[in-house]
Amino acid sequence: MTFKKFIKTVTFIEILKGMALTLSRFFSRSVTIQYPDERRPIAPGFRGQHALAKHPQTGEAKCVGCGLCATICPSQCIHVFREKGKVSRYEIEVLRCIYCGFCVEACPYGAVVLTENYEYSDYSKENLYMTKEKLLSNWDKYMPGNKGEEYFKRFWRPMSGDFETPSQQPMFRGKRS
Amino acid sequence: MTPDTFIKFGIDVLIIVIKIAVVLVIGLLHVAYATYFERKVIGHMQVRLGPMRVGPHGLLQPFADGIKLFFKEDLIPEKADKVVFYLAPVIFMASAMVNLAFIPFSHNFIIADINIGLLFIFAIAGIGVYGIFISGWASNSKYAFIGGLRSSAQVISYEIAMGFSLVGVMIMAGSLNLTEIVRAQENSIFGMYAIPQIVGFVIFVIAAVAETNRTPFDLPEAESELVAGYFVEYTGFRFALFFLGEYIAMFIMASLCTVCFLGGWTLPWYVLKVLPFLQHVPGIVWFLIKVYAFIFFYYWIRATVPRYRYDQLMSIGWKILIPVALANILVTGLVKILL
Repeated sequence: MTFKKFIKTVTFIEILKGMALTLSRFFSRSVTIQYPDERRPIAPGFRGQHALAKHPQTGEAKCVGCGLCATICPSQCIHVFREKGKVSRYEIEVLRCIYCGFCVEACPYGAVVLTENYEYSDYSKENLYMTKEKLLSNWDKYMPGNKGEEYFKRFWRPMSGDFETPSQQPMFRGKRS
Repeated sequence: MTPDTFIKFGIDVLIIVIKIAVVLVIGLLHVAYATYFERKVIGHMQVRLGPMRVGPHGLLQPFADGIKLFFKEDLIPEKADKVVFYLAPVIFMASAMVNLAFIPFSHNFIIADINIGLLFIFAIAGIGVYGIFISGWASNSKYAFIGGLRSSAQVISYEIAMGFSLVGVMIMAGSLNLTEIVRAQENSIFGMYAIPQIVGFVIFVIAAVAETNRTPFDLPEAESELVAGYFVEYTGFRFALFFLGEYIAMFIMASLCTVCFLGGWTLPWYVLKVLPFLQHVPGIVWFLIKVYAFIFFYYWIRATVPRYRYDQLMSIGWKILIPVALANILVTGLVKILL
């Protein structure tokens, strides 16, 4: 044992260093968020519970029942039923949903959204099985006013702008008028 | 016998009973809030908040825990040795509680001011090991058994180092009476024995942590390997008795440290010379401040240092602490003879 190591062992330098660290943390602010009293800020475009969008003028569901959302859904939790050219039932099994947001992207009419609501735990499966009525009322509850339209503008992808070639890219862009 | 002697005797008994009641109630309350204090301290050291939900800042958490423990189902393993199983937590807690009688809280507040207080505390604390060991044996569970074995080996090894570390104090004070040890410190040059007996003090602190089975020497209840060690099979109030015993043992160790090394209820004379108004503060305040500082130190270590390996624990105890403590006795004795 060298002299330096001996001094280190006898004076407990390493343990004291560790204890200084824990003591400095003792006086620092804790990172705990006390959930029901305090909440994290929700990030824009948060993918929470589903809602069916309503048309701003008519107030009817935008959904036409094309079934693209049901087709793209990786966990196959969306069920769309049509009768006589109309959407008779539109149901989402929330417990199986993985919140990937593919349904929102696939929808050509912007008819389905993911709202910012994440507090909907329940004791029965029945209450977590979202029917068309529940989904439409979710739109009123969580996307009131302009919020729904804003959501589509900011987070609905792909928009037509996404397919444009970047302007820096040298390419033939048709005849200039 | 005249009636006068009877009355005198009765009053003496009454005073002692009142003292016991006060110490017991304060001891139990201490345990309740020591757990709260521990959870808060460790929580904040880990950048958490600790208990916050029950009452303002979680202040009622200890009572919630107590009520929960009280109403828990009382399970006894089928093949447990019933009588011994019942007896173990009682021995463990009683031996911890008895020690409260010999702690001088202040210059006039001690339940039993006996001449061999220091030895007596060691003797009674030694009985506590039986509680741990027979609980491990009676549970008829391999985890409890290993925990009990480890604990008895550990406590026996560290008791030696601890006793030796206090021999220096005994030599310097020339007494085993705890009150006299404090008085001797009050009259010494440094005011407290932690300074001239620094080696003994460090050994005592390490051994006290090991003696009460706290991290980093909590091998007997090593959660990651033994679930909970010797009290795995205990539920409800029996478990609470072990818990009480452990926290009271911590209090005893902290008070022993305060009495033998930190000057008990007195302040060093040089502090009083600089700040003379501190004389008017009752001694019990200084005593409790020192004790809780030591208990905070316990929690602080727990939040910092990881658990030692068992062979490391044994080699620290036998190969380092005991020889160093013996050397300390030798040096202290020589100094005492020469001066």
